[in-house]
Amino acid sequence: MGRYIARRFLWTLLVLLVLSFVTFALTRAVPGGPFDREKSLPPEILKNLEARYHLDEPFGKQYLRYLNDVLIPRITARKPTPVLEEYLINIKLWNGYYFRWMNLGPSYSSRSRTVNDIIREQLPVSFQLGVAALTIAVLIGIPMGILAGLKQNTVWDYLGMSIAIFGVSVPVIALGPILVWIFGVMLKWLPPTGWGAKPPYILFFIPRDLSWNFWRYVIMPAFALGLGQSAIIARLTRASLLQVIREDYIRTARAKGLPERIVVLRHALRNSLIPVVTVLGPMFAAVVTGTFVTEQIFGIPGLGKYFIVSVTNRDYPVIMGTILLYAIFLVLANLVVDITYAWLDPRIRYE
Amino acid sequence: MSKKWSLVAIVAVLAALVVTSCKPQVQTVVVTVPGKTEQIVVTATPVPPTRPNILRLNLGPGDVPTLDPALATDTSSVQVIDMLTVGLTRLDEVTLEILPGMAENWEISPDGTVYTFKLRQGIPWVRWNGQEVEQVLDDEGNPRFVTAHDFEYGIKRTCNPETASDYAYVLAFALKGCGELNSADLGALSDEEKQALFDGVGAKALDDYTLQVTFNEPAAYNLNIIGMWVAHAMPKWIIEEKGDRWTEPGFNQSYGPYALKEWVHDSYLVIVKNPFWPGIPSSPQASIEEIKFTMLDASPAFAEYEAGNLDVAGVPLPDIDRVKADPVLSKELVIAPLACTYYYGFNTKKPPVDNVHLRRALSLAIDRQGLSDNVLKGGQPPAQWFCRPGMAGCPTPEKYPDLGVKYDPEKAKAELKAYMDEMGYTDVSQIPEIILMFNTSEAHRKIAEAISAMWKETLGIQVTVTNQEWKVYLKTIRTADAPHIWRLGWCMDYPDANNWTREVFAKGGSSNPADGGGINWENPVFEELVVKAAREMDPVKRMDLYAQAEQILVWEDAAIAPIYWYTRVTVTKPYVNRTLSQHGHEMLEKWSLQP
Repeated sequence: MGRYIARRFLWTLLVLLVLSFVTFALTRAVPGGPFDREKSLPPEILKNLEARYHLDEPFGKQYLRYLNDVLIPRITARKPTPVLEEYLINIKLWNGYYFRWMNLGPSYSSRSRTVNDIIREQLPVSFQLGVAALTIAVLIGIPMGILAGLKQNTVWDYLGMSIAIFGVSVPVIALGPILVWIFGVMLKWLPPTGWGAKPPYILFFIPRDLSWNFWRYVIMPAFALGLGQSAIIARLTRASLLQVIREDYIRTARAKGLPERIVVLRHALRNSLIPVVTVLGPMFAAVVTGTFVTEQIFGIPGLGKYFIVSVTNRDYPVIMGTILLYAIFLVLANLVVDITYAWLDPRIRYE
Repeated sequence: MSKKWSLVAIVAVLAALVVTSCKPQVQTVVVTVPGKTEQIVVTATPVPPTRPNILRLNLGPGDVPTLDPALATDTSSVQVIDMLTVGLTRLDEVTLEILPGMAENWEISPDGTVYTFKLRQGIPWVRWNGQEVEQVLDDEGNPRFVTAHDFEYGIKRTCNPETASDYAYVLAFALKGCGELNSADLGALSDEEKQALFDGVGAKALDDYTLQVTFNEPAAYNLNIIGMWVAHAMPKWIIEEKGDRWTEPGFNQSYGPYALKEWVHDSYLVIVKNPFWPGIPSSPQASIEEIKFTMLDASPAFAEYEAGNLDVAGVPLPDIDRVKADPVLSKELVIAPLACTYYYGFNTKKPPVDNVHLRRALSLAIDRQGLSDNVLKGGQPPAQWFCRPGMAGCPTPEKYPDLGVKYDPEKAKAELKAYMDEMGYTDVSQIPEIILMFNTSEAHRKIAEAISAMWKETLGIQVTVTNQEWKVYLKTIRTADAPHIWRLGWCMDYPDANNWTREVFAKGGSSNPADGGGINWENPVFEELVVKAAREMDPVKRMDLYAQAEQILVWEDAAIAPIYWYTRVTVTKPYVNRTLSQHGHEMLEKWSLQP
C-alpha cells in the first residue's frame, strides 16, 4: 500500500507539471490580454503594466519564472510585503529569517492582492460550504437510495426517486432565489445573503465562531447545493443496491439465517457503496473548491467566482492558481477513493 | 398507525410554523399593583427601535479592486477612495461643478498653465487603530498634517512607471513632465537622469501649504484633472513601510470625511466617520457614523433590500416592472441620469459602411425612444450625440434641440436611396453583408436584436448579428479589420467634454486607435475643433465648438451612431436623506439617516 501511494504521488507531480504547462500556454494563446479594457490604454501605460508583471518577456522565460516562483523554496530575512514576492508558506526560522515557499503570483485585477491571499481567504469559505453541502447530500442521498432500493416499486421508491429527479432537474439557479425569497425576504428566518465567518480560521478552514450566527448563513446555500448532489447519490445507491442484492452471496447470507438488518448493512450496502464512493471523490473536489452559481446567488465570498472571472479578466496567475488547486484536490480525492475501495471490498488490493 | 401519526406530526409542525410567522408583534406586560390581589394585563405600546446610524450600501459583485488612489480605475474603488481622501479640487456630484477641495484657493499664471494652490492647514492624517479613529503621529510624536509635499509625492507616484498606474495617462496627458517620466525606462538611466525626470514633473511643493502645478495646456479641464483620485495626497511613510499592503485596514492612512475600518475581501468593507475632518463647503463633516458596503450581485442585493438589510439598491432589469407597479417600492424608486453613453461605432474604412449615406441611414433608422421604452425600461434618454449633457462643454438638448441624429424613418430611406444611387444598386439585396458585433451578454444581445429588427423594418437591410467573448471582442474591434458595426459604452473620468468627444474619437483616442481599428476615422476639422475647444475658456463658445465637433462625428461623417444615455435605476429607503450623484459614485458625507 505504501509503495502504491508513493507511486501515485510521483504521478501526481508529473500530472500537475504537465497541467501547469498546458494551462500556462493556453492562457497566453487565448486572444485578448489582462489589460484590454473598454477604455483602451495608451501604449506607454501598457508597457509599464507588462513590465511590472514580466509579460513583456518571451513565453519560455515567463513559464520558467512561474515555476521558479512556485516550486523553489527560499530562505530570506525580509518579512514579505510586496505583492510580487508573497509566499503561501512562511515559516519563521531564527532571528527574522523565514523559510518561504510557493509564490503563486499577484492578481492583475485586484492590484493589492495575490493569488495566495485569494486562496487563504476564499478557499476556507468554499470549503466550509462544500463540507456542509456534501454532508447534507450524503445524509439525504444514501438513506433515500437504500429505502428506494430495498422497497423497489413501492410508494417509497417512487417518492424517493421523484425527489431525486426533482433535485437533479431543478438547478441551484432556480432553487436558490426561491429559498432566498421565502426564508430570507418573506419570512425573514434566515439572512438572504452573506457568510457568518471571516479570517483568520482555525487550522486554515474552521471558523472561530461556530454558533448559530455561523450556521444561519450555512443552511440555505448548503441545502440548495446539497439537494442536487443528494439526488445523484440516491439514484446511484439505489441502482447499485438493486444489483448487489441479487448477488449469490446475499442469498447465501440470507440462507445462513442472518437477520435482514445484518444482510443489508454489512453485506449488501458495503459493496453497493463502491460506485457512490467513486463519484464522491470528484464531487468533493468540485464542491469544496467553490461553486460559482451558489456563491453568486447567496452572496458567499468563496473561491468559485475566481474560476470564472479570472478567465474573463485574463488574470493569468489567478487562472493558474485556481486550476492547479482544483487539480490537487481532484487528484487527492481520487487517491482517497482508491484507498477506500480496498476497505470496502477486500478483493481489491494494490500491489 | 405509526405512519398516520407521523403524518399528523408533520402537519402540526408546518401549521405551527405558519402560525408563529404570522403572529402579530404585540407586547403584553403583567402589572402587579400593590395592595390588590388580582393582576392587570396591560398592552404596552412598543417603543420604536432607534435606528443605528449606519448606512448599508452595495458596491456590486467582486472585491473592491484596490484602495490605492494611484492604481484605482473602477467605480467601486473610486467610491471608497473619494470617502477616504479629498483632492485639491472636489467635484460637486449633483451640479458637476468643480469646487475647492484641499486647496482653499488658487492663482493661475497669465499664460494659463501654472496653478499655485494654497492648501487648507491643520488637517491631520488619521488611521483606525482597532477601537477608534486616531491621528497619525510622526517619529517625534507630533501629529502629521496633510501638506503640499504629500500631494507632490502622490502625483509623482502615479507618474512613476514602476507604479504601473493605469490612470497615469490622464496626468501624463495634462501635467507637464508626467508623460516623460511615465514612458521612461528607469532601469537604463543613471541616478542623476532619474532625478531630473522626477524633478521635471510639474508638481512642486513651494512650502508646506503651497503647491505649484504646471500643466501642458491652458485648458478648461485642468482643475478637473488635478482633483482626480490619482492626484490625491498619499502617505509616503506608510507606503514605504508597508509596500503594496498599505491599503489594508489598520495600515491605511487617510484624511477625508471617512476612514477605513474593516475590509473582509470579497465580502464587505466598512468605513467610519473621521472626527478630525473639519468639514469644508464641498465636503462637510459626515453625519452618518458608519457605512457598510457589501459586494453582491444585483439580484441578491435587491433581495437584501427587500428584506430590509440594505438601504439603497439598484433594481435588476427583470424586477423593474414589478417595482413600478408595487405601491411601496414605486415610491422608493428613483431613475437618475448616469454619465455614460451607449453607442454603435462604424468601421468607416470597411465597405459597405465606408459610405456615409449608408451610415446615416442606419443611424437614422434606430428608434431610440422605442428601444428605451420596450427593451431597456430604465427611462434612458435617446442620445442625439455622444457627449453626455451635463458635463462641462457638452451640448445640451435644451440649447441644441436639433443637433446630431434623431429617429427619422423617412430621412433614413432618403439616405439609403442616396447610397444605392451612388453605388448603382437597384435592390437592397445587392448591398454586401454587414456584420453587427457585440460582446457576449444578454443585455447587449437584446439591444442588437431590437436594432437589427428596426433596420430590417425601415430599410429592408438584414445585418448579421454576432458576438464574441469580452476580451476577444476588445481585440477584434481594435484591429484595422474591425467589424462593420460594433458596440461600446463610455463613462466619464472627469466631467468635461474633453474626456468624451476628444479622448474617445480624436485620432489615437480610445475608440479610434492610431494604428487603425475602432471607427478608423480621421477628420482634420474635427481634430482642430476639439483642440480649440479644450483651450477655450468661455463656456458658451466652448459648448458651441463641441456642438460643431459632435455634428461632424454623428451626422456629417456619421462615424458613430449614439444610442442612449445611461440612467441609474435605484430604490432608496424613505429614511435615507440622500443626494443623487450624476457621475455614479456618491458623496456619502452629505447623506444622513432619519432617526
